[in-house]
Amino acid sequence: MKPRVAIFDFASCEGCELQIVNLEEKLLDLIDIVDVVSFREAMKEHSNDYDIALIEGSIMRPMDEERIKKIRERAKVLIAIGACACLGGVNKLRNEWPVEEVKKEVYGDAPLEGNKFFDVFPTKAVDEVVKVDFYIPGCPIDRNEFAKVITAVALGRKPRLPTYPVCVECKKRENICVFELGQFCLGPITRAGCNAICPSFQDGCEGCRGFLDDAKMDAQKDVLRKYGVTVDQMMKKFNFYNYRKGVL
Amino acid sequence: MKALSKLEWLKFVDRLVNDSGMDIIGVKAKGESFVFDRLKSADELRLDHDVTILPPKKVFLPVTEDLISYDLKGQVRGERTVDDKKRVLIGVHPYDVIAIEQMDEVYLGNNIDEHYASRRLNTLIIASDIINVSERSFAASLGTHVTDSGYDLLVTDIGDTVVVDVGSKEGRALLKKYGKARDASKKEVDTVKCWRSDLPTWFARRAKLPPSEWKRVLDENHDHPVWDENSKKCLTCGTCTTVCPTCYCYDVDDRTDLNLKEGKRQRTWDGCLLRDFTLVGSGEIFRDGVKERYRHRFYRKGAYFPDRKGFVACVGCGRCAYQCLPDIADPSEVINSIASYNLHKKEEHPVPPVEHPEIREDLLIPEPATIIRKQKMTDLETLYVVRLDSGKELGHAPGQFVQVSLYGIGEAPISISSAPLGKEFELLVRRVGDVTGAMEKLKEGDKIGVRGPYGRGFDPKEMQGKDMLFISGGCGLAPMRSLIDYTIGHRKDFKDVWILYGCKEPAAILFSKDLKQWADVENVKVLTTVDKCPDGQCWDGNIGVITTLIPKVAFDPKTTIAVIVGPPIMYKFVIRDLKSRGMPDENIIVSLERRMKCGVGKCGHCQMNGIYCCIEGPVFKYSEVKNIPEAF
Repeated sequence: MKPRVAIFDFASCEGCELQIVNLEEKLLDLIDIVDVVSFREAMKEHSNDYDIALIEGSIMRPMDEERIKKIRERAKVLIAIGACACLGGVNKLRNEWPVEEVKKEVYGDAPLEGNKFFDVFPTKAVDEVVKVDFYIPGCPIDRNEFAKVITAVALGRKPRLPTYPVCVECKKRENICVFELGQFCLGPITRAGCNAICPSFQDGCEGCRGFLDDAKMDAQKDVLRKYGVTVDQMMKKFNFYNYRKGVL
Repeated sequence: MKALSKLEWLKFVDRLVNDSGMDIIGVKAKGESFVFDRLKSADELRLDHDVTILPPKKVFLPVTEDLISYDLKGQVRGERTVDDKKRVLIGVHPYDVIAIEQMDEVYLGNNIDEHYASRRLNTLIIASDIINVSERSFAASLGTHVTDSGYDLLVTDIGDTVVVDVGSKEGRALLKKYGKARDASKKEVDTVKCWRSDLPTWFARRAKLPPSEWKRVLDENHDHPVWDENSKKCLTCGTCTTVCPTCYCYDVDDRTDLNLKEGKRQRTWDGCLLRDFTLVGSGEIFRDGVKERYRHRFYRKGAYFPDRKGFVACVGCGRCAYQCLPDIADPSEVINSIASYNLHKKEEHPVPPVEHPEIREDLLIPEPATIIRKQKMTDLETLYVVRLDSGKELGHAPGQFVQVSLYGIGEAPISISSAPLGKEFELLVRRVGDVTGAMEKLKEGDKIGVRGPYGRGFDPKEMQGKDMLFISGGCGLAPMRSLIDYTIGHRKDFKDVWILYGCKEPAAILFSKDLKQWADVENVKVLTTVDKCPDGQCWDGNIGVITTLIPKVAFDPKTTIAVIVGPPIMYKFVIRDLKSRGMPDENIIVSLERRMKCGVGKCGHCQMNGIYCCIEGPVFKYSEVKNIPEAF
């Protein structure tokens, strides 16, 4: 029996799901090895009977919390996909302000009282609400890594993410270090697996795949200081995807 | 020497690109930097480069390469991938030529790596003299700014003319076939000589000590404050090892296509600065500290390599220094800072003199084998009886190990737990990782792959005529069983035998049938212990750690050989107790566990200081490893 897979979205841009659709001819391989039973972005059918749940997006509201808990109960394996699900991502930036202030800023005086769709709490990553078995990080996810994780799960192998920084992949691609180009980069503290896509296009790493468990934050800050990055710039860069994880 | 006008040189390169049918890889500009890349025409080629971002090593040992293509449909099969494309590499600086010669020592020396060899032997090297010196290079201090070997042609761009030194028959033929060279004039030859002898003055960076002194100062400064100070700034990003022309460590992973029908076993560069470099299946990381990892890189290059091969594994290219963001990777700076500082605390880590047997032709290709029987021993451990499909005997010595391979999953080192008897051999496997987990799902009759046997096993002949004291913990009994069975099979060759075995709890005891049978043999005593006996399990024997059994044995330390195999924590305490009974170091034998990925002394993961656990071990005399800081 092929494993039954369902893909769900929470607060997100759905770009990660788009990456799955963008597998193109490999998408046919995917549906050959698994039965996709729910995938709002790509199909009409829906079933609540699944083995593997893929979750995109972060948890913002009591109704999200209720929904993700139900999904967790039904799924044997739950995989968080993308920065929003894995880290909270850019959605966590709003945690910098009180919820009421944020609502006021965005919706002005619109009457939201009692409307459950606008009943929000500070943003949470999926693993702040339910147990997550595996992660496919990134903003958006990397298609090859997605294929690798799904293949591993299908073969009964534990999917492993790189435990080394983006610099390894960046150097292997023989990129000129973006610090040399006058930019700054979170590559040395960020988990690899994206094949250093941003630095390969002369853009500093934003840390969308999350910081390494053993990220050398002090050494990274020393380097940033050496290259003239101010504390304010550092804070903004660290918080962008990893809200309050690079505390200064 | 020969010479070509600039125009003729460009024509020569263009003919190579257009007419030779070979891949022509030369130095090209990338932004303000340089890289080795495939040339489309001669005008892309630069001979005025200071240094390339990655070394030309990537041509012979690609960043990522396929080792084996495997097929998971029906009968699982794997086939070695072959890259025998003819190539010419142009613009290799002397220090990189020397680095390639060093790589040859590793990959073409003892146990030839077929994948490397195929690329290396099909590539011609056109080296070029350094015209612009890299700001961080200190090659002149190592004498690697020039070379007189390792190239097929060596060119020097002296302005309007390119002077060519022919280094091989193949180089001469290449020049003759595609170039119109004339003999170089005396003036041209003198210009080249003069440039080479002046070259050292252009280097801004210098190592204060010649390479022959590096090992000495490193041995004397194992505890120098520089290791602490610098490692605090280290990002552990692995850049220094990734850009190094002499780093050769690699990792291997199976990449199965999304269709689950086929895939590739791939090799990719790995580096000792990365945390999980020494991670084993059970979760232990043997070189976890940043300071230890940072220091290891310098010792590997400056002390362990000279010990093993007689030369420093650094060519002074300066790539690591230039690319390191916190600027702590420069070997010349580190050597200079310890050169004038002498703690006079010499700490050498000599490699045990072990003969490395030549390994059969296809180094990395597993042999098909069949699981004949499978027996569950405990919740975690299963015993597999295996036979090679070729019908050959495995031919192992007690204490050796094999690499068990499952395509799509990977490889794991497993010690052989049976004495060398016939065509069947036994593997005790504890379920801790991917391969061991997947193995458990296999049935009798299923196929696995086997590489090996590898490593130095026990030497039963050395133990003859002695009393034997076997001390093992947990699944350490598995490799030891091969020696115990040998000892019992050759009972007359040995005197009294004591077998001490400890486990966490009664349910974790392995080979209980064997333990009973051994106890019935004349003059063999078996003592067992458990750390604890949880409710619901039965145990009327000793409770306590393994060392509580040692006082129960009346052995003569001078005539007894103690063999110890167990979890890493066990060794220190058992050895301490044996030593306190007066046992000499030479009489203590240990077998150590490390991350043995290749099994043939190349991938670097199992290194304990300068020692490769996979080829010099896993079995060691305690006297060989007692001063190796990373051994225990």
